Amino acid sequence: MPGFIRKNKRSVVILILFAFLFWLVTIQVKNGRFPFMERPVLAIAGFFERIIAAPFRFLESAGTRYVYLVRTERDNGRLRQELVRLQIENSATTELLTENERLRALLAFKKQNPPTAFAVQIIAKGNSPASSTITINKGSDDGIEKDMAVVAEDGVVGRVQAVLPGTAKVILLTDPGSTLAVRVQRNREEGLLEGKLGLCALKYVSFYADIQEGDLLVTSGLDGLFPKGLPVATVLRVVKHEASAFQSVTARPIVSLSRLEEALVLRK
Amino acid sequence: MKPRYYLVVFLLVIPVQASLLSPLSLGSVGPDLALALLFIIGLLTGPLEAALAGMALGLLQDVSAASLIGLTGFTRGLVGLGAGLLGRRMFDLTNPSTVIFLTAFSLAEGIFISILLQLFYGSIPFWNLLFARLIPQALYTGLLGYFLLQPLRDRKIVLALKRRVIQREF
Repeated sequence: MPGFIRKNKRSVVILILFAFLFWLVTIQVKNGRFPFMERPVLAIAGFFERIIAAPFRFLESAGTRYVYLVRTERDNGRLRQELVRLQIENSATTELLTENERLRALLAFKKQNPPTAFAVQIIAKGNSPASSTITINKGSDDGIEKDMAVVAEDGVVGRVQAVLPGTAKVILLTDPGSTLAVRVQRNREEGLLEGKLGLCALKYVSFYADIQEGDLLVTSGLDGLFPKGLPVATVLRVVKHEASAFQSVTARPIVSLSRLEEALVLRK
Repeated sequence: MKPRYYLVVFLLVIPVQASLLSPLSLGSVGPDLALALLFIIGLLTGPLEAALAGMALGLLQDVSAASLIGLTGFTRGLVGLGAGLLGRRMFDLTNPSTVIFLTAFSLAEGIFISILLQLFYGSIPFWNLLFARLIPQALYTGLLGYFLLQPLRDRKIVLALKRRVIQREF
């Protein structure tokens, strides 16, 4: 046996390395991901990402600005009309808001402030086949912190996973490591939404819960990361297995994550 | 190639793929430059070196994507090993069939990762993933590999590289 090992030393080393990597993965599945190596590699990769992306972003933004200029005059007229309409609506809304605040005060409800946000640009998309992440152009220098919620105009995008001075890594809803507390908007059934590479799965939904295809899932706010009521995903498929206490629910994110260019990071 | 050159190349490939190749993506499907590069390294160097290179590349990708550290390292190591074994049996690396192998490797890696994730986390929508992402991505990566292999059309380069590998191994 020792003779065989000596003869095939390099092959044995490779085999041990494969076993070590597999063990490393199983440890993380059991105990959570390791963050210890993220900072140095993110710093180096982020530095190159910014340098490589900068000239392309400049050209893209110059082209976009020209197109915007052409459209500006046409939009100007339309926006003036819109402004008048919104001013009328605004005065009505202010009335309703005042009334709402008065009634809330009467009922002693806790006031919920709308979250403030940072506007960020997506400068890179994750390149590991086993995960779904993006890199944004703001980091700890701008006030971004770990676990901040990231949203787009349509709904939830993900949460900040790792932060560096100039960039941050965002783990998307569809990443296998992403979990999010949600509820069905129609009937308030609760569940945990997990990423499944491109799609999501709603876990721990009772066999008897009324979940239908097309149902909208919104954040429940129970995870303490996302504000309550943000659209997250729509139910794509519901499968009930007689042998299981839970339903198997597949959902598609509301936000088109592959076409995302800008997003908002919500302050905690 | 010396380890430090591999490290520099891989640290450049990761941001190039993440930022420059993302506009080439069609939906969630994009070409996998890192895999195509690793495949070529495997063809030119040999199974052991390519397996180590694949592990290093995969580990860097895992860390830079804040992913499960070791998962891509493991699968890319296998791809490197496979490409290295294939390279020993192929003498015309620029043959179009090489691209078919690259496509097959990309697809096999995707399926293997899906199976592992199914084992670890459960309820992966496998068929959806296969048709919506893995097969198109494998074809796209094969196409990218075809263009990457074009500079190697000069047989002198390939033969010189091959000779170097054979000399090193014997």
